[in-house]
Amino acid sequence: MFPSHIMEVFLLHNILKKRKYKQIVFYVLIAICFIASVFFVFHNEAFYERPIAEVIKIHVQDSTPVTDMYNNKDYLYTQHITAILKNGQEKGQIIQLKNDYSASGAFDQEYHVGNKLFVTIKESTDKHLDLTGTILDVKRDQFVLMITWVFIFALLIVGRRQGLFSIISLMVNALVLSFALDLYVKHSNISLLFISGLCVLLFTVISLILINGFNDKTYAAIVATLLGTFISLLISALVLWITSENGLRYEEMQFLTRPYRVIFMAGLFIGALGAVMDVSITMASSMFALFEQNQSISGQALKTSGMDIGKDIMGTITSILFFVYICGSIPMLILYLKNSYPLGQTLSMNLSLELARALAGGIGVVLTIPISLYTSIFFINRKRAK
Amino acid sequence: MNVLVWLTAILFILMIVIGGKKGVRSFLSLFLNFGVLFITIFLMTNPKNSPILLTLIACTVISWISLFYINHISSKTVTAFISTMITIVILLLFIVWITDKSMLRGFGEESTEEISIFSLYIGVNFVQISASVIIMSTIGAILDVAISIATSMHEIFHHNPSISKKKLFTSGMSIGRDILGTDTNTLFFAFFGGYLSLLIWFKDLSYSIDEIINSKVFSTELMMIFCAGIGIAFIIPITASVNAYYLIRKREKTENLS
Repeated sequence: MFPSHIMEVFLLHNILKKRKYKQIVFYVLIAICFIASVFFVFHNEAFYERPIAEVIKIHVQDSTPVTDMYNNKDYLYTQHITAILKNGQEKGQIIQLKNDYSASGAFDQEYHVGNKLFVTIKESTDKHLDLTGTILDVKRDQFVLMITWVFIFALLIVGRRQGLFSIISLMVNALVLSFALDLYVKHSNISLLFISGLCVLLFTVISLILINGFNDKTYAAIVATLLGTFISLLISALVLWITSENGLRYEEMQFLTRPYRVIFMAGLFIGALGAVMDVSITMASSMFALFEQNQSISGQALKTSGMDIGKDIMGTITSILFFVYICGSIPMLILYLKNSYPLGQTLSMNLSLELARALAGGIGVVLTIPISLYTSIFFINRKRAK
Repeated sequence: MNVLVWLTAILFILMIVIGGKKGVRSFLSLFLNFGVLFITIFLMTNPKNSPILLTLIACTVISWISLFYINHISSKTVTAFISTMITIVILLLFIVWITDKSMLRGFGEESTEEISIFSLYIGVNFVQISASVIIMSTIGAILDVAISIATSMHEIFHHNPSISKKKLFTSGMSIGRDILGTDTNTLFFAFFGGYLSLLIWFKDLSYSIDEIINSKVFSTELMMIFCAGIGIAFIIPITASVNAYYLIRKREKTENLS
């Protein structure tokens, strides 16, 4: 018989070998997915119904300086593009296109040799001339795919298991959201707030279990997140009701043909959720860690250390929300200001909704600190009683 | 009274009640950061200023406020500051390159109507502005990760002064991995919430999958989310190595002296 420690070493070796084997299989699978998808996306023109043309030659006409009525100076260019069609009946034929663009590129862009463009083809009567057409848009799928892979690799290399889980959590949550929105768009009799409430429940459970696994910490964090989100939503709704939404400008949601108040509230609800989860899981993890280090720690000591942790994270998490929301409106703010819009109007038109979102999220974050403090203590006490 | 005034007042009161002095400082730093952002936007309207350079300066000031004002100057915050700056420079290079390549700039299809009344030839470089937007959206999260890792690594070093450089680095990485999940989560949901109206718009117009993937709005959204994730992934090894290098060097110096 083997002495037990040799047995142990042997077993450990086997487990490691198995794990390594699994890892290699995983890496090979990822590599195959990567190569196959990149190959596909660069050669998938045949799957598109819209005609696609690849730019092969560009001739730029002289630039013309323009000055608009607000004295902004810019340059306008015209490109004469020769492109080759990549799909459809006209595949392989040459097409002539024209593109106007400005140096600033707010709503137009310069094209380069090798770009693939969606075009419409004009019916021509003369068979000897090249086809002509107009440019609709750029084929962006290859860039979307590349950035997706950079994201996946960065998260996997740095985060390993946790990175994989946060990729999975992003995918699952996006699918849930997409499914829920389908439900809302198709059955308009279901209230969006009800749907997003259900979504919040699902998002919380899925993300927290993926981040932290099945344990008491996770359950405490789930309870705290749900309480925190609903209470902060209640407060924001109350404020909106008291002020009769004075100061909120919904102009930037004008493209929607639906009641935008409800959609704004639902977005507020979901947007704050991640930050609230962040607070409750951080609080729960550190308080459970304190308890595990010293099982006889008093409730009062737990409370004080928990509050200290909460104070530390409060500022940074609220500022994450602020930056995400406010920075998104930078291009629009610049456009308004450059068109000599009055400052006050520019800010209230473009920032009121974003600021309301950020502030409501901040309220959620701060409120969740005491809430998760008490839920964690509750779960710890339950553990103690066992 | 105005909604925003109410919400700001409620947030301020809650921060004081729950956070005490630190709460007041957190609130003030939000206010200051908002001011920095504003000045940056104003300066960006002048075509002579490079948006990228302005972003770099703005990020420096914002990091300065968030790290040294809330937490005071110490070796923790200094290492966090250095790591943040390194990450931002690397990210900027990467993002400028990718925004240029992918031709994601300016305004998306959803704002066609809103911007139709404006003059669009305003001379500002919108490629660089798009890159600035992406960087500045993530700066909050990057700072959060940097300060958390720096604090925990200092703590580990304090409790275990003879730890090897490699071990210190590995423990920094494992702390970073724990934060990675929650911080990417925070950003994902913030973006989901912000994009909810756009998503409903897409569903309403019943775009086909290939139209959605190739559209400017959708690919910009995806890019924002992914670049945010990439930023958080980048800062973890950078902060871990800056702190490991700094702490071990400090130990070696004191050993040489004694």
